[in-house]
Order: sequence, then C-alpha cells, then structure tokens
Amino acid sequence: MAGLDWPTDYLRAHVPHLAIVSLLALYPSIYHLLANSLGLYEAEILLPGVETMTAVLYFGLFAMSFDFISGYTGYLSFGHAAFYGTGAYTVILVANGAVPLLGPGTPFVVSLLVAGLLAVLLALVVGLVSFRLSGVYFAMITLGFAQVLYVFIRGWDYVARNPRDGPSVGPTHSEGFQLGVPGVDQLNVAIGVLTGDEVTMLGHTLGGTAVSYYAIGAVVLLCYFAMQRIIHSPFGRVMIAIRENEERAVAIGYDTYRYKLAAFAVSGFFAAIAGGLFAGFRRSASPENSFYFLTTGDALLASIIGGFGTLAGPLFGRLFDETVREFLSKSGQGGGLLPYLRAGLGEETLSTPVVGNTSLGTLIDTLLNGHASLYIGIVFVLFVLYVPDGLLGTVRQRVGGKLAHVSAVRFGDGSTANATTDDATGEEE
Amino acid sequence: MILETLADFLTVSELGSVLVEGLAKSALYVMIASGLTLIFGLMGVLNFAHGSLTMVGAYLGGLVMVLTVSQSTGLVGRLGLFFVAIVLVFGALTLLGGAIETTIIRPLYDRPPIYQILLTFGLTLVVDEVVRIVLGLYGMQPLSDWQAALATKPQLLREPAALGPIEVRWLSVFEILLGVLTVAAIWAFLTRTRYGLYIRAGSEDTEMASALGIDVRQVFTVVFALGIGLAGAAGTLLMWDVAWGASVPLAAETLLPAFIVVIVGGLGTFRGTVVASLVVGMTDSTMTWWFQNYVTFTGLPELMLFLVLVVTLIVRPQGLFGVEEVGGH
Repeated sequence: MAGLDWPTDYLRAHVPHLAIVSLLALYPSIYHLLANSLGLYEAEILLPGVETMTAVLYFGLFAMSFDFISGYTGYLSFGHAAFYGTGAYTVILVANGAVPLLGPGTPFVVSLLVAGLLAVLLALVVGLVSFRLSGVYFAMITLGFAQVLYVFIRGWDYVARNPRDGPSVGPTHSEGFQLGVPGVDQLNVAIGVLTGDEVTMLGHTLGGTAVSYYAIGAVVLLCYFAMQRIIHSPFGRVMIAIRENEERAVAIGYDTYRYKLAAFAVSGFFAAIAGGLFAGFRRSASPENSFYFLTTGDALLASIIGGFGTLAGPLFGRLFDETVREFLSKSGQGGGLLPYLRAGLGEETLSTPVVGNTSLGTLIDTLLNGHASLYIGIVFVLFVLYVPDGLLGTVRQRVGGKLAHVSAVRFGDGSTANATTDDATGEEE
Repeated sequence: MILETLADFLTVSELGSVLVEGLAKSALYVMIASGLTLIFGLMGVLNFAHGSLTMVGAYLGGLVMVLTVSQSTGLVGRLGLFFVAIVLVFGALTLLGGAIETTIIRPLYDRPPIYQILLTFGLTLVVDEVVRIVLGLYGMQPLSDWQAALATKPQLLREPAALGPIEVRWLSVFEILLGVLTVAAIWAFLTRTRYGLYIRAGSEDTEMASALGIDVRQVFTVVFALGIGLAGAAGTLLMWDVAWGASVPLAAETLLPAFIVVIVGGLGTFRGTVVASLVVGMTDSTMTWWFQNYVTFTGLPELMLFLVLVVTLIVRPQGLFGVEEVGGH
C-alpha cells in the first residue's frame, strides 16, 4: 500500500516547493507582462529585473551553502567567500586555458564540478585545523584563511594581467558557457547577458538573460534539493544536534569532528558551484566580489534576513537585499526610485528647496540613491534584535511547523501528518 | 642574491629603522586593538563595528583639526590642538559607545555570542553608509584620504629624523610615544583604580563579581563606552598617517589587523594584546622591508599578518596569553 501512496504523499509534502518554484519559473513572463506589455511603470520600479533575479539565484545558492554550515551546525564560517572565489576563479581560469590538464574547451559543467571538488579539498584542509576551535575562534580562523587567499589572489599575476581587478574570460572562450548535459548539444544552453542563447518556445522568444535565468535556476534548484536531502537525512540530524548541544552529541557517541568536517566540505562544494555560476554568467570576477570577507558578509545578511537555520531562507533574504538595492540604485537601470520620481513629480517639484537651499531632488539623491546599504543595514540590525528567526523562520513559527508539513496536514491524510510533524519537532528551534 | 639582501637587512641602519618602524606600527596596532580586547575580555562581545568607529574617530579628529588649525599655527599649537582633538573625540565616542551598549547590545546578552557578532556587523553597514552620506553632503570623496586633515600635520612630523646612523620618520617617534602613553594609561586604569579592579573581576567571573555587589551591568556599559572611545582616539592618530588616513575603507583596514592582534594575544587579555601588537608590528615592518627590497609580491606584509593569525591559532588556539575557556562557546 505504501508503495502506491508515496508519490502522492511526496507531492503533497512539496506543495510549497512547487508553488515557489512555479512562481520563480513564471517570474520573467510576469515581469515582461507587467512592465512591457501592460506598461505598468510601477511594476518596473518595484520588481527586480530578470538579470537581477539571476544574481539572486546564484548568490542565493551561496548564501544557502553558508547557512548549511553556519545555521545548521552553529559554526559561523566567516571565510566562506574563499569557496565562492575558488569556484569563480576556477571556471574563468579553465576557460582561459590557465589550468593544467583542462583546456579551454572543457565543458562548463565539468569545470563547475572541478571547482566544487577543489573547494571540497580546500574545505578539508581549512576544516582539519579550524574545527579544533569553536565559537568566535572558529569564525576568526576561517576568516584568517580566507583573507590569506584573498591577499594572495589579489597579488598573484598568474590569474590575471592585473590581479587586483581580477580575471575575465578571454578570447580563447568568446562564446557563452554551455550549461546542460555535457556531450548532448540539444540539452545545453549558453548563459550570459550578452552571450546567452535565444530560445524560441511555443511562439515565445526568450532572450539570453531569461535563458540564463532558467538554466542557472535549474542548477540552483538541484543543489537546493541535494542540500535539503542531506539536512533531512540522519547526517543532517547530527548537524542539528551539534548546534543544539555538541557535548551531548559527543556523549551519545557521535564523532562530531568528522560530521562537522563533512558538512563543511559539502557546504564548500555548493559555495563553489554558486561561485562558478556567478563567473559563468558575469564572465569576470574580482577579488573584491569573490574572495573578500564582505562577500561572506553579504551571505550572512541574506541568511539572517531570510532565516538563519532554514535552508531556503537565504534565497528570500537575498531577494529582499537585491530588490532594495535595485530600487535605490544610483543608475536607476530597469526602474528604481529616482527615474520614477523624475517622471512622476517633474523637475520643478524636485528642484523646490526643502531644507535650507537643498532641493528635494538633491536630498533624495544624497539620502536614498546608492545608499541601499544603510537601509539594509538597519533592517538587518532590527532583524537580529527583534526577528532572530528571519522571514522564513518566523513564517514557520506562525503556521506552527515547516510549510511542507503544514500543507501535508492540510491536504494529506492523518497518518502522514503525524509522521511528519513528529519528524519536524527537532528542527523548530 | 638572497644572502646579499640578508646582509643588507642586517646592517645597523636598516635593522634599526625596521625596528623603529615596527615599534611605530605596534603602537598603532595596540591603540586600535586595546578597545576591542577590553570589550571582549569583559563582555564576550567581539565588536565588528570597532573598525567603523575608528574610522568615525579619524573623521571627527580631522574635523576638529581642520576647524581649528590655520596656516600660521606652529608646531606646539598643532600638537596641542591634536591632544585637544584626541580628548574631544575620545569623549564623543565614549558617549556614543555608551548609547550603543544600552540600546542595542544589552538585549542580546542572553543570546548565543554569534548574535553579538551579527549585530555589530550590521552596525558597521549602517555607520559606514551614514559616513558616506555625510561626506556626500559636503562633496567629499569617501574612498580617498582626507587631504585637508592630513595637511594639519605639523611640518616636523613630515620630516625624517636621524637617530645616529638610523633614519626614521618623526611621525613614527610620535606614534611610539602616543602608543606607550596609551598602554601606560590603560594599564594604570586596570591595575591602580577601583574601577579597573571591577573590570578585572568581571572579566574573570561575571557571576561572582555581581554576587559580591558589583553592578556588572554598569561596568559593561562603561567598558563598552571606553572601548569605543579608545577606537576613536586611535582613529584620530591614524588621520595623520599617510599610510592610513581618514577614509571610509579605513574601517576594514583597521578592523582586520585589530582582530589579528587581539586573537594572537588571546581574546580578552590586555597583556597579550600588547605583546601581540609587538609581534604583529615587527612582522609587518620586516615584511614591508623585504617587499620593498627583495620580494616583488605586493600583498606580502598583509599575507604574513594573516599567516601569523592562522599559525597562532593552529599552534596555540587560545592565543599567546589567552585562557582556554574564554570565547570557546
């Protein structure tokens, strides 16, 4: 009987997943419809563009991998940017033919996996030393390792002609990176803003950015499910046990050192995949946006706002972050506050003096545009103080369990519900 | 070739100037890090906003100097005003620190220590961006050093000083003096005053101290405030040093060395911080010399500093003078 029931049960338990994924899948069409076809200017201002959404996806994956180790085992990995940077640099260096044994023609997916494995190695080396420490010391030693790599990569002229600016994909690989099943042309699409493939489907043409959005989104989804699977396995239970009470986990008989090391390696792997996707899409990387400790800071920001210790939370946190940044961006590309105010209020209103002889326009320009960090920082501080569970964690608390389980209760039969809510209690903390 | 360079390095004049420059760097590091270590030692809060507040101190100190110093102010006048600036900035940031502790740090004492890192990290974002906005209002560049503040430095501190065969900068001598003064003041405060006794007692055992009738809450506020004040005083000194200068990136530039010093010394021990800043300062100046004369790798001094951190944590995780229980939550 169970054999026949499980597919429906499984689908029931994944209703929220399905809802979120289909919403994300429809997003480019919705955006296109609202902003272009209907010409709703407000939609263009408030909603992030598809290019930004792609950035949300790959950086969201990085933030998830950060949360995987930091939020679930309680070991704050402040040097996580090292893995992200490893991923990004590996992909670009392979494409430039600068990595031995791997020519510029290496399929993108293969170089992603190579990047992931390199990050696993790095994580094992860093972890072997670092997991002898805990708390603040762990955060600091991982930060130390990452900064060593950052300073090194910033000065190493093998990686780029000007290592301070970082490498970009050179002429040996002028076409876009092919994301898909290697060896099967039909199952590959090129990604990138300019280099992405155009795909015509059902009389609907998708541009390079939209194609990249879907291709990267598919990889991110795959990685998310892989991590989710690990968290829900007995291995993941031990990770949570380490966070809740490591001494007790040791007392029960778990070799927590090995578990932490393995979790760190897994998290490093996915961080490198995220970095590789970032480099594949942007076709360049700099030490500042990959190896620098503030990159980890961005992941931290996304994790806290989205929900520390919830796997999907960081993605929503990053979505919030990017939306605010784009809304308050200086260039106002693809919407934003300033162009809207210019159009809506007119130059005359904007030039009226408000305080002293400072005009309204100047005031908005100095206080809002390009200063998203201020508002995100304030939101972050407020979240740490008043909403420590983040967006997703709080939603879960309100509905009394994980969304998947609640939906299973609502749509499913009693037995599934009982089994799953029992299962969930360990995690709601 | 390496032997020749080594022979160069081991001459009296070169070694002497590396030593003096190293002491000057150590003095700066100890000033940057001592506030951080006081706060961590007592409260267990690793203050990520320390660098940002140092940067605020640099700008405030620069502001005082720019407003008061005129072209005709002489050496004594400028140095006098500089000490006035340090006192003013110390006072202002002490008040700010007290306000920060009572409003946003205090609610977090019951939570895991990770949340204090998170909160102070958020604070850096806010502080840095507010500084950018203020600079924007006055049309100043956030990324480059504040030249007007650098210009208030007296002529003497720009000139080299000859101590026998050793050639150093007067500024280094000035920095060393100020560093020694700071260390002496903090040390006297900790060991010779009643409040210092409270702080040492609280660092060792908070519960016991409060059981003996010490108002630990109040001590927390005072120490946090003083720590931030020290950050501001350090910033005021950095404003005059061309290698640092008042700019927004100064926040990250000072935060990371401060972390290294504090962790190498052992979180929360003031003695450890002093020794560690000597180690780090000497490493820095030696590596800077090698970078200028022999090795072409640009990031060498910075790289070595982080390696000092990593090696210390591998060999002696609690730091040179640290006690094992502190910070290992």
